[in-house]
Amino acid sequence: MIHLKTFAAAAVALLVLAMPATAQSDKPSEVGFGVFTFTSGPAAAYGMPGRNAAELVIEQINAAGGIGGVKIKPTYVDEGQGTEGVVAEFRRLAADQNNQVMVAALSSGNCLALAPVAEQLKMPTFMWNCDTHQLFLKDKYKYVFRTNSSTVPEFVASALYLLSVKPDVKRIAIINPDYAFGRDAAAIFTAAMKALKPDVEVVAELFPKLGSPSYNTEISRLVTAQPDVIFSNLWGADLENFVRQAAPRELFTRSKVILALGESILQRVGTLLPDGVIVGVIGDGWWLSPDSQKNPQTKEFVETYRKRFNEYPVFPAFKMANTINAVKVVYGKALADTKGKWPTRDDLVAAAKNLKTETLTGTIELRDDNDGLVDQVIGMTTKDSGHPFPIMGDMVRYQASLVTPPVGVDPLAWIAKLNPSVLATLPKPGSYK
Amino acid sequence: MVVRYLIGIAVIVGLLPLAVSWLGFVFTVAIGKGLAALGVAILLRGGMISIGHALFFAIGAYATAFLMRGKINELITLFVCATFITAAAGLVVGAFMVRYRGIFFAMLNLAVSMVFFTLLSKLYHLTGGTDGMRVMTPTLLGMELSRPAFEQALQLIAIVLMVGAALAVDRYLKSPLGQALSAIETNEVRLEFLGVSARGVLLVAYVASAALAGAGGALSAVAIGHVVPEFSYWTLSGQLILIAVLGGISGVPGPFIGAFFLELVRTFAVGFAADAWNAIIGISLLVVIFFLPEGLFGILQRTETRMRRPKA
Amino acid sequence: MFANYAPLIVDGLADAALIFFVAVGLTLVFSVLHILNVAHGSFYSLGAYLSVVIGTFVAGRGWPALSFLALLISPIIVTLALGPLIERTLLRWTYGRSEALQILVTFGLFLILEDAQKLIFGVQSYSQDAPMTLLGTTQIAGIVYLNYQLLLIALAVLVAIGLRLLLKHTGVGKLIIAVVADQEIARAVGIDASRVFMLAFSLGVFLAALGGALASPTVGVSPGLGAETIVLAFAVAAIGGLGQIEGAALAAILVGLTRSAAIYFFPEFQPVVPYIVMLAVLLVRPYGLFGSIGLRRI
Repeated sequence: MIHLKTFAAAAVALLVLAMPATAQSDKPSEVGFGVFTFTSGPAAAYGMPGRNAAELVIEQINAAGGIGGVKIKPTYVDEGQGTEGVVAEFRRLAADQNNQVMVAALSSGNCLALAPVAEQLKMPTFMWNCDTHQLFLKDKYKYVFRTNSSTVPEFVASALYLLSVKPDVKRIAIINPDYAFGRDAAAIFTAAMKALKPDVEVVAELFPKLGSPSYNTEISRLVTAQPDVIFSNLWGADLENFVRQAAPRELFTRSKVILALGESILQRVGTLLPDGVIVGVIGDGWWLSPDSQKNPQTKEFVETYRKRFNEYPVFPAFKMANTINAVKVVYGKALADTKGKWPTRDDLVAAAKNLKTETLTGTIELRDDNDGLVDQVIGMTTKDSGHPFPIMGDMVRYQASLVTPPVGVDPLAWIAKLNPSVLATLPKPGSYK
Repeated sequence: MVVRYLIGIAVIVGLLPLAVSWLGFVFTVAIGKGLAALGVAILLRGGMISIGHALFFAIGAYATAFLMRGKINELITLFVCATFITAAAGLVVGAFMVRYRGIFFAMLNLAVSMVFFTLLSKLYHLTGGTDGMRVMTPTLLGMELSRPAFEQALQLIAIVLMVGAALAVDRYLKSPLGQALSAIETNEVRLEFLGVSARGVLLVAYVASAALAGAGGALSAVAIGHVVPEFSYWTLSGQLILIAVLGGISGVPGPFIGAFFLELVRTFAVGFAADAWNAIIGISLLVVIFFLPEGLFGILQRTETRMRRPKA
Repeated sequence: MFANYAPLIVDGLADAALIFFVAVGLTLVFSVLHILNVAHGSFYSLGAYLSVVIGTFVAGRGWPALSFLALLISPIIVTLALGPLIERTLLRWTYGRSEALQILVTFGLFLILEDAQKLIFGVQSYSQDAPMTLLGTTQIAGIVYLNYQLLLIALAVLVAIGLRLLLKHTGVGKLIIAVVADQEIARAVGIDASRVFMLAFSLGVFLAALGGALASPTVGVSPGLGAETIVLAFAVAAIGGLGQIEGAALAAILVGLTRSAAIYFFPEFQPVVPYIVMLAVLLVRPYGLFGSIGLRRI
């Protein structure tokens, strides 16, 4: 029995050591943010700009005195470790009362897994990047907000833009990553095309798995299918690999190609992409957009970012920056509501409800279901004398209200009801300048 | 002997989360993996190594998710059904596997688990693809608990499951059937001469180990609240063997000790050496293999004998 | 008719070529050392990383043609740095021990090498395109192919023939065959078996690293590549029969062609193809196309 005692003693000792010795003071010395993004794996090409932007914005906020005098202390969590690890980290961070906000999740899979956990733990969570429209489709959340648009407006915008620049399209092919984001995008894009131009035909539909190192066979398959248009929402290193492998094989000159997340690789692939490829930023986060150019804060952000990280901020960087700035606005509102008393997590949630704020690149508005309304900017690659890579030309900025179904309406049913007559009323390519 | 260690572990695992609440989750997941590693340890007793045992972990987890989709919401029913489904899968796969030994056994298990992995990732409309499936909070004995209360209950159930499974496996390994299993490693031909069917002995072991992995998978699915195809990826299979060997396969507490060690190292490593935690685990594995062949449990036992000696 | 299936065959063979390099190395190591090396895929990704780093470095200095040299030099560097070292230390200790233990030791090595790569090369994705652009393209049946892809097929054939010649017609090869056939007798007649082990393992490392290096211009290199490659190599080696070089070649072609056919006809099932082929083959021939249980030949 002696050993049982040893065990018990050890357990008690550990218990005492681990006792949290915190007495809640009114205003903490720092407030913790959990920031979730991919910093490893093929998704890091997209996740790192997010992390870089978070670092930069948090530094700026802290240098300016923090939020109501309280500095932000971020904890970065790598989504590359898999869903199980991400959920475990989320719980661990949420258990510490000093962590008041989660800026969580790049990947749709992780968002879908984290949302119910956030709700259970009553943890204010701002989804900075994930786009899946399934997030708020069936479930109502009080603690989860999306400061970003969803797959529906993003890929309806692709279809609208395509039909304004190439109205005679008949054969479309799709190559998307194999998970909710890619599957949803395929369904949404196809549905929108069929509604707006009923005679289109899908001649090939490929879903290579996320992180595939090689697309050579898929490229041959796409060429054999002889499509007028190839749609893809590949992203990160996957998109870069695809472009590197497909460009020399003339894929981009034989068919019109839509790279819905194409802006994120323009700087990396340089002149490999010919002119006229449709590229988007799934949102409004384009650093050279007229709105960004007009805003001195944005120009400063772009310059600091470029100096620090040696590249211009691609759109994931803006999604992150806009989210953290929005959280700061939420704190401002909460502090006003509590009359200067440091807000609790629940105070923050109350303040975030129906938030509407200016961002670096436009506006974010949170709807009644906590989903975000963001405009969609899309254009085509154009050579530019000022840069060694193509930029977006012939741009359009679709108002969020134009491409987003109303709250509570089934998105696919809404898309199916899109009327070809809407095409005539759309802003023309090149109208956003 | 074994009982005392198990009670000791149960007490520590039960008490610590009272102080550090998020540890409860870490321990529950660790017990899930520990159960699966215990299954791997049974096979290792027979000299069989499977680089595909995560298959059954995943079957248990996905069975839980599908049962919940089919409106079965009671935790106990879920665990029992998931374990039975996995055992049945183990019987089917095992009937084919027990014809092979050594490398071929290892690789065939790998192949089957990879088939399952790719199917889980590809059958998007059925399994949610690589996004996986959500597992809601089930009821417990008909009661709808709040999530924190449920998690505490789940943790207690996990501890009971751990102690129960460990004792059952201990008894099984000491039974003639379990002894025959060890004999397969030492001398299979002699065993056959004695009139014992080696394939029969192995099949029992295989089904038992599958059932344990299934229970572990079901527990993890409910604890995490989400299941993903990675549950059947080969690196998780490797991790399960690693847990078993790290903890030590000489006694049933070994795999659980290994699992707690691994999850704790992982939890802390993620904080300060996120890119090196696999290497840390790899190095500890090599150290254990080269210098401590009986694993962490072996060290514990040795320390105890040493402590006892001066008193005697 | 041909026009319809030509792309399928070209893509399938190019795929097969890359699989072959890794699988044949794995199978060679197994036939001599009787160890299934789980870390084999890590040599593949190391070769890929190193050749991209060296290749982009020389291409950036204005000598893109030198990146071809990088494709050859990087596997040599990987081999010299790791081959003898790992064989002499870790593996030597496992000879004669249980298969479970051998697999575990190489699994530990796999975990360490994977993280070592993350620490050295970071976690972002690497790619190089100098070798691909320099060689240009060819049209086959209306589809543009990279000449580099065609070169890969030719190289794989050359390596297969080269290995055959090395084993059958050179002194080293005969020593290897002698050790594979009967280690005891080989030792008794004065063959330094432990040297043969080291040579064979290093050759295996070289083949894996070469596969990675040659793949690097056509793929993106990022963490996880090694883990993915090794399971595929396992499947191919098992289909061919562990330890069988011709088997590995045939299995690679089989898997390469079925995979590309799957992309054309059943794209959903492309990733599962290698394992389905493996299960199907092993159900009929438990020890692979060319394998047998007692007899281990090269």
